[in-house]
Amino acid sequence: MRSRPFRRLVFIVGSVSMLAAGASAHAAPASQRTGGWLGEELPLPLAVRTPQDLAVKQVAERQYLIFNLLAGGKLAWDAGDWATAANKWEALLRLPALDPEIDRVIRPLAHEARAKAGGAPVAETAPAPAPSTTVPAPATAAATETSPAAREARITVAVSGTLSGGGSQGPGGAVIWLKRHGGETPRPAPAKGKVIDQRNKSFMPHVLAVPVGSKVDFRNEDAIFHNVFSLSKPNDFDTGLYRQGASYSQVFKKAGPVQLLCNIHSSMLGYVYVVDTPYYTQADGSGAFMIKGVPPGEYDLSIWHEGASKELHQRVTVGADGVRGLEIKVAGDRRSPSFLPDKSGKPRQTQLGY
Amino acid sequence: MMRARGAARYTLALGFGLLLAPFAARAQQPAAADDSGVDADNAGDGYTPAEGSASPPAFQVSGYVDLGFAHAQGDGTSFPAGDTRLPADYGVDTFATAVNSRGDVASTDAGGRFVNGFLPRSVGIGGHASPLVNVVDFDLRYNVPAAPLMFFSRLQLLPRFTGTGDDTRPLLEQAFARWVPFDAQELALSVGKFDSVVGIEYLDNESNIRIGVTPSLLARYTTGQSLGAKAFYRVQIPAAWSAVSLNLAATTSGSFVESLQMPDVSLTGVPVGSGRLGYELNLPRFQLKLGGSGVYGPRNDQQDRQVLQRVLDGDLRIAVAGLYLNAEYVHVDEDEGHTPKFTSLGVYQLVSAFHERGYYAQLAYGLAIDAGALHKITIYGRYERRHAWFQGFTPLLVDRITGGLRVDLWESVIVKGEVLINRELAGSPSVPNNVQTLSVVYSF
Repeated sequence: MRSRPFRRLVFIVGSVSMLAAGASAHAAPASQRTGGWLGEELPLPLAVRTPQDLAVKQVAERQYLIFNLLAGGKLAWDAGDWATAANKWEALLRLPALDPEIDRVIRPLAHEARAKAGGAPVAETAPAPAPSTTVPAPATAAATETSPAAREARITVAVSGTLSGGGSQGPGGAVIWLKRHGGETPRPAPAKGKVIDQRNKSFMPHVLAVPVGSKVDFRNEDAIFHNVFSLSKPNDFDTGLYRQGASYSQVFKKAGPVQLLCNIHSSMLGYVYVVDTPYYTQADGSGAFMIKGVPPGEYDLSIWHEGASKELHQRVTVGADGVRGLEIKVAGDRRSPSFLPDKSGKPRQTQLGY
Repeated sequence: MMRARGAARYTLALGFGLLLAPFAARAQQPAAADDSGVDADNAGDGYTPAEGSASPPAFQVSGYVDLGFAHAQGDGTSFPAGDTRLPADYGVDTFATAVNSRGDVASTDAGGRFVNGFLPRSVGIGGHASPLVNVVDFDLRYNVPAAPLMFFSRLQLLPRFTGTGDDTRPLLEQAFARWVPFDAQELALSVGKFDSVVGIEYLDNESNIRIGVTPSLLARYTTGQSLGAKAFYRVQIPAAWSAVSLNLAATTSGSFVESLQMPDVSLTGVPVGSGRLGYELNLPRFQLKLGGSGVYGPRNDQQDRQVLQRVLDGDLRIAVAGLYLNAEYVHVDEDEGHTPKFTSLGVYQLVSAFHERGYYAQLAYGLAIDAGALHKITIYGRYERRHAWFQGFTPLLVDRITGGLRVDLWESVIVKGEVLINRELAGSPSVPNNVQTLSVVYSF
């Protein structure tokens, strides 16, 4: 007995195939024109001369990928190849910003196929759907440089591990990020709703990692005036003074560490770390970390910690199953500064209280 | 049939939607490839250490080691050969040959002539070039958990501390408790031994903070420590990016340095009052600070509370685009005493009235550099002029031109080199007493 979702699948495949058939007359690669209606090759040979061309190509490749995974899974299902069907549909479900209707139809089928194939999903749990306005990363680089599976579906996995070290502060708060080795790292979408409070004459959170272009609201929760400034070029800024309940927004446009200080309170210290990659995270108090949504490939992993005088770098190969159990020690050789500067850069003796 | 129609509508709508998708996406993101990015769902809410550990640790030890190398012209003093005036230190500026941040001079050896205690501390190297251990400093800070109370002490080991340079003495330069009673007010109350509140030079009196190596010729009147209580209060004026502050102190002695008075006991039982009224303009790229301060009370080298000291001080600081201008005017009057005077150097018989008028201006330019170990280079110059006289003795007018270079390495090492050109303009024979001094400071 065919389930109701399956009938929906028929409609979706039908509609997508109509579109793909129309497009293939102009755009499909030679192998596809001479062979079957499922293609394996990305990128599509669409000419790109303008930003608009690139946008069209991105969307076309995305739909092409959706169609192939959708229909390929169906063909495998029909052939009784449950594992292939499960793999393709699971890959489909991992695509960011997937049409909810497709998700609703395919997800139970993917589970059923996986159950019939036996075993658990090979990749991580699908990431939460991205905001509807988010356009997925260009598929070209990932598709041409990674494994066939990734090329087919932009499978994303997780990179996780545990940090140790960090001196007396421990490893907590370390910022860990990945950038593609030998390739272009997708530009991250700015994070939204990021807030650093000034509370009890402290910055909370003490360390915040954000992608470039993110706006951070500095909110005064103390009953006294606060100021936030940074001398960390090129992200230097100065909020001026603002009272309890007020906030100030700052957009961080360049990658790197940003030391946060208050011109009134000479003991206040915090950090924003700005990353230029979507693949980043922060270690928790125990040093544990996980970076989600990473396409398989070769990466340079970097770590910044406020207690380390230098950033740490190492190569990581991310396979189809991701990376688990990384154990890395960060240095703790940088002591906390004895005298924090005022906004002119002159050190202040904190014991004076002004 | 109904189902077939619905399916057809669905297929049509989906196909139409897919056809429009690229254009819709382009409409929402005008340059999608440039303006958007990948959201990998990694944005967290940041990290704050566990409750109680977000603040600095309760007990902290920091400090620095200041190693120097200095050479002064002549015999390391400002005493001219053949000058027979007495007391010898009334006719010259004995503080001129400073070699380190504390203002210790190369020598105070008057060649057997009578001096009357208007003298600095000396490292005792005379006219010879010598390496020095200027200061080994330990700052101990204890923040009482869950209370706005802090205890601070600054202990310094001062090798070569005596005139003959053969002694090492520990000095408890500061030891105080600071209480911030209100969350909503910038009020800090301190009790103990602390820096003076006069002028601005005390703010960077330590060699790990001071831009250059040596203090000004006027630091002897404003940068001393004494025992007592003080209150600091500041009001912010957000609309004007400004603040007004008041710093008041009642202490055993005035703001003179240790060698000129007794800082740790009151010889009269009457406190000396001092205060500073300050104004700050804190624009993002321009900072201006102005202050007026003063001291009034009994001389603390006297046991007679009627013998008074008075200090007036005006200060200015401007910081803009890496340029720092510090300037200060200092006006001192001390009454004549009638009993011997007691200072940290000893007991002296003459207690003359004393007057001083002087100023300095220092201009520095700091260039931040991020090149491996090299963090910052600062060049600086200072001009100062001092006119002083003891009642009944020849007035003395001197000036000094100082130039130097400071290099900040890593985050904990400072190397500073400085040349001091001392000139006797009136009241004293000219004497070769220029100084070249080097300081290497390691902070821990």
